[in-house]
Amino acid sequence: MNKEEIIEALKTIVEPYSEEVLALAHIDENTDFINDLKINSANLVDIVLDIEEKFNIEIDNDSMAKMLTVKATTEIIAQKLEAHAG
Amino acid sequence: MLGNDIVDLDLAKIQSNWRRKNYLDKIFTAEEQLLISSAKRPDEMVWLLWSMKESAYKIYNRKTGIRNFAPKSLDCTIYPNIDQIKGTVSIDNDTYFTKSDIQLQYIHTIAAPVYNKLEKIKVTIYTSPNHPSDYKCTKPGCVSHHGQYLALVY
Repeated sequence: MNKEEIIEALKTIVEPYSEEVLALAHIDENTDFINDLKINSANLVDIVLDIEEKFNIEIDNDSMAKMLTVKATTEIIAQKLEAHAG
Repeated sequence: MLGNDIVDLDLAKIQSNWRRKNYLDKIFTAEEQLLISSAKRPDEMVWLLWSMKESAYKIYNRKTGIRNFAPKSLDCTIYPNIDQIKGTVSIDNDTYFTKSDIQLQYIHTIAAPVYNKLEKIKVTIYTSPNHPSDYKCTKPGCVSHHGQYLALVY
């Protein structure tokens, strides 16, 4: 799975937790879940759980701590997928 | 520096399903999960602990410049009293003091780095649609917004 595919999958995951239609439409690496998508912090946990289910990976607490932007989240997913494959 | 966090309990009910598998484990320490499972009103305990963590994080974030999502590293202790709920939240080597107000429709927590500051904090809570648009001019020490509520502390 390349970066664009991960971002596309991530977009589908975060959509139900944001009402920021415009920011969702223009989602890219620089999108911030809280500042741009106005996602409630309690829902960030749901996003982490959705990612674990969708990609069949486990997100540890240190990784979760960084998952405030699309960029950081995409990098973590890519790392975990690679570790999985290896 | 002050912190505060308000949870609109009606919105929380719709917005978050904390009974979802692994949800609590991502946010709460073993001791906190025990408080939730043994609570008479578990919903209330979940959002009480959450508002304590959030209000302390708001001070921690400004003090250290660290921005992260590590709710489990904010370690809550509750000291229940007859009329108010006081507690501490520890992260790294810092401890913040909290005082919470549990109402039927919301839970509000204030946080301060020094215990005796708590009594000096002035709280104003607005219910929509009566949120003043110019509240920023009043220079609140911390702003929290959730659902119907806007909570300001000075």
